[in-house]
Amino acid sequence: MSSFDIEFAAVTDIGKIREKNEDNVLISSDLGLGVVADGMGGHSAGEIASNIAVSVLAETIRKVNNQQLKIPDNFLPKLDPIERKLLMAANLANAAIYSTAQSSDIYRMMGTTLTGVLFDKDCATAVHVGDSRLYLFRDNKIVQITTDHSLAMEHVRRGLLTRAEADRSKIQNVLTRAMGIKKNIEFDLLKFPVKVGDVMLLCSDGLYKGLRESDMADLLKAGAQMPIVKLCKQLVRVSNENDGQDNISAVLIKILPAHKVTFTQRIKKFFTKK
Amino acid sequence: MTENPSLVGQDISGCEILNKVAEGGMGAVYKARHKALNRIVCVKILSPALANDKKAVELFLTEARAIAELDHPNIVNVYNVGKEKGYYFIVMSFIEGQTLSLLLKKNKVLPIGLVLDLFEGVLLGLDAAHEKGIIHRDIKPSNILINPQGQPKLVDFGIAKKVDKEKGSTKTTELAGTAYFIAPEQALGKDLDTRADLYSVGASLYYVLTGQFPYNGKNTIDIIQKHINDPVPDPAKLRSDMPGWLSLAIQKLMSKNPDDRFQTAKETYLYFKKMRAEDQLRVKMGNSGRAIDLGEEGPLRIVKEERRSTESIKKQRMEEAAAVSKRTTSSSRLPLMPQLDDSVKAASKEKPAKAPQPRVGMLGAEEVKPVDVFVPSKKSAAVRFAKEPSLETSSKNWVTKMLLFLPIFIVFTGGISYLFYKLGTICSVHLNPQAGLFSNLIMPFLAPEYAPNQMLLTGMAVAAVALIFVFSTIKAFSRSTTLWLIVALVSYMAGLFTPQVPFMEIANAGQYIFTPEYYLCYLVFTAAWAIGLCGTINRTLGQRLLAAALTILAMVLVYLSTHLAIPPDTQEMLVKIIFYAGLFCAVLCCYYLASRSEKDSILFPLVLMFAAGIGIWAYSISGLAGQINQTLNSFTRLVQVKESSPATANAKMENLVGLDSRRQVFASITQTNELTGMNQEEAYAFLEKQIDKEAPGVLDEKTKPLFIRFLIDYYKSGKSKMQLSVWDYALSFPVENFNRNAQNNNAYFFLLALLYVFGALNCAGTIFFSEDL
Repeated sequence: MSSFDIEFAAVTDIGKIREKNEDNVLISSDLGLGVVADGMGGHSAGEIASNIAVSVLAETIRKVNNQQLKIPDNFLPKLDPIERKLLMAANLANAAIYSTAQSSDIYRMMGTTLTGVLFDKDCATAVHVGDSRLYLFRDNKIVQITTDHSLAMEHVRRGLLTRAEADRSKIQNVLTRAMGIKKNIEFDLLKFPVKVGDVMLLCSDGLYKGLRESDMADLLKAGAQMPIVKLCKQLVRVSNENDGQDNISAVLIKILPAHKVTFTQRIKKFFTKK
Repeated sequence: MTENPSLVGQDISGCEILNKVAEGGMGAVYKARHKALNRIVCVKILSPALANDKKAVELFLTEARAIAELDHPNIVNVYNVGKEKGYYFIVMSFIEGQTLSLLLKKNKVLPIGLVLDLFEGVLLGLDAAHEKGIIHRDIKPSNILINPQGQPKLVDFGIAKKVDKEKGSTKTTELAGTAYFIAPEQALGKDLDTRADLYSVGASLYYVLTGQFPYNGKNTIDIIQKHINDPVPDPAKLRSDMPGWLSLAIQKLMSKNPDDRFQTAKETYLYFKKMRAEDQLRVKMGNSGRAIDLGEEGPLRIVKEERRSTESIKKQRMEEAAAVSKRTTSSSRLPLMPQLDDSVKAASKEKPAKAPQPRVGMLGAEEVKPVDVFVPSKKSAAVRFAKEPSLETSSKNWVTKMLLFLPIFIVFTGGISYLFYKLGTICSVHLNPQAGLFSNLIMPFLAPEYAPNQMLLTGMAVAAVALIFVFSTIKAFSRSTTLWLIVALVSYMAGLFTPQVPFMEIANAGQYIFTPEYYLCYLVFTAAWAIGLCGTINRTLGQRLLAAALTILAMVLVYLSTHLAIPPDTQEMLVKIIFYAGLFCAVLCCYYLASRSEKDSILFPLVLMFAAGIGIWAYSISGLAGQINQTLNSFTRLVQVKESSPATANAKMENLVGLDSRRQVFASITQTNELTGMNQEEAYAFLEKQIDKEAPGVLDEKTKPLFIRFLIDYYKSGKSKMQLSVWDYALSFPVENFNRNAQNNNAYFFLLALLYVFGALNCAGTIFFSEDL
């Protein structure tokens, strides 16, 4: 699959005040996939929407990989196979949420954000909608790869608000795009090369509300040698201590050098007890 | 999309629900008849999706109560609010009329006087609400109902919007307010006050008077942002008969800055009143150009906005973006790739000279990421790769370790081997040639009296076993535990069964290497290796293939080592079944060993391997067993053992077991004959005599005791017992054969030597390839 070894870790936390966790995370080293979905909407629907989002996404990718499902030829033929696979999975997930939302009164108005990243060879392909984020931590610097689909960020993009104002704004939670709201929605699709040492952070808005980017970078820098599960838990914990008003989810992905097995290493492996 | 179809026809708070009028995000609005008053009312039901949200419900009710307090002719009346049948409801007056937006759609152009009349009413209603501190937040033509008397009524009073706001950080895709009429501060998420409603009044006026929205765009965001950003359009341009003051008043209401608007609804209302009166006056007086005192208001002042439009800003942004080659996210329609690598190259070239460009405009500093973020530091990369252990140091390490651990291994293995050999030699005095292999192995320790030094050596052997386990904690020897145990066992057996052969005497091994005894040696060796691999968790591909190959080899060796001069008895059905079962087990075992190790357990392939081995073993000795059985069959015909008379049998039985349990004993014995009741020696002597009489010279002296043993089983316990003994004998025959011949061909020591060399290699390999021992 990938020409790197990829480590995944995921943590989700209900936060301090929420009664339920509407976030859903999924990591699969088999598929090379990490997903964060942050549900929204009425009664119990938010968690259902986010659950459908991650599970349908992963299931579709798995099915396409196992050739149980074929991507229609006319489905965005100009994209490369990985992008098509991911986008189709996201579209199916959206359709699933939308139809569920329409099926019952309880589910009406439910929706979810989705930020997922799929690895293949030396590239990461991200699919994104909503205000969950994908950060790339490289050479001790953190960069937000995705663009939030929130009204506040939309204003920031047009220069109507500063980033700092947007972070305090009341319309932070107004999304301009989300899954399950419409039958067909537009996803952001991003493809970028990764390299050894990269750390990718997928997170719901709960995490970045309690943790500034500089603090994230500091934590990631300090935890470079830590097991990423521990690091992931730490990020969530610190964010929760600072804010905790929302559900907090984080998926941490670390790119490690590919384990090239030489002949001697093979023999060595043979002799070393595990 | 039918929400609660069952609600129609039901009673809520004494109102019979007639039909659904409208539906929104917060719930549905029904037309209903108040039974007691016999009056048509309007019932609004909170969406069940929100009914469990305590905060939402609380605000739904508080807000409804607040409006009920208002009691203003221009605000819809609330009669009742509460919860019934699990539904939260508000009962309001039903307004038989139409909304302003509908009116506009029907009439295309509305007379200015009518519009102003309506809006004066709206402003009065709004003023009443504002005095109570209630902000409508969603003033728009469709929220202004006009009853048949031409009275405007404000509806949808902020309930949903307030709830949305108070729900705080709950995500939503809906902005409180409608994009076409939204106040800039509302769209920006700033703190709101009553003046936001005035903006919406202005925008609504604009729309109602001109038939066009003040701002239009390709999507909601676009429109919202134009509200925030674009200059206020002049409605007079779209409607020639609009008085100048009205155009200016609308523009004033729609000022971006709340401070530049009319400050209250009352003020707006009064201004409208005054200006209209003035118009009337002007009409009456003729356009004499007489100046009219505008009072303290002064002339209307429209604050000039910074002349910039959303488009221009967008353009500016794009130019900036191009200049810095900023990363952009791409949409699915346009899959752009952030060219990290390219930016790396470009940036690394320019890096020393160029600092990140200072940004202009309203962009927050945080948003601008320096481009050189992805510049890989060469130094750090070098450090990363330098972490690989250099070859020199590791080579030094393994030499030292080899010098330290390998001699220990060789000496220790030799020590164990010799110790157990000695123990075996001493124990060999207890050996009973009639007993089976297993009983011979443990018999020395159960003997009534011990040989000299046996206790001492046994103690030492136990200590050696303990030491084996202690040693196995050293990583260099960690894989040798099984091996050492096998070496100990083999050495003990070598001493036990070939006591007169000197220790490690393998001088003449060469001539025997293709004999069944030596095949058995190879088998033990191969099987030990295969078992060791079976026990390895997470096998590598090489290990998996090797394990499978070894299993196959072991099966071949099982066949060869047990393959006697007599071919297998392929006629017997049972034998066939056993053979195919064994083969099947072998294949399954190979599959499990060779397949990915994530699904294999350790035990299952081991069990399969043993089952396969036993199956094939049994198959290849079946010829021997079959032949013995044939011979025995003819013997049972030859050797006549008379049926004893029931009377004598009974008497013997009574002597043996007593009268009471006689019946039970009879029940358990299938046959009674002359041998019944005889002990082993008597029976042996009796049968020996019979054989000598009936079939002299058929059996030689060596095999005679064996056959007599089988015959005793036959006459005493029946045919099946005899066959069992035959199979038992045949199955252990190769091992007995091995023990017998080991005196001559030194097979035991050959096997020991094999294990020894293999163990040393294994140990050396572990030392060589392990970094930490």
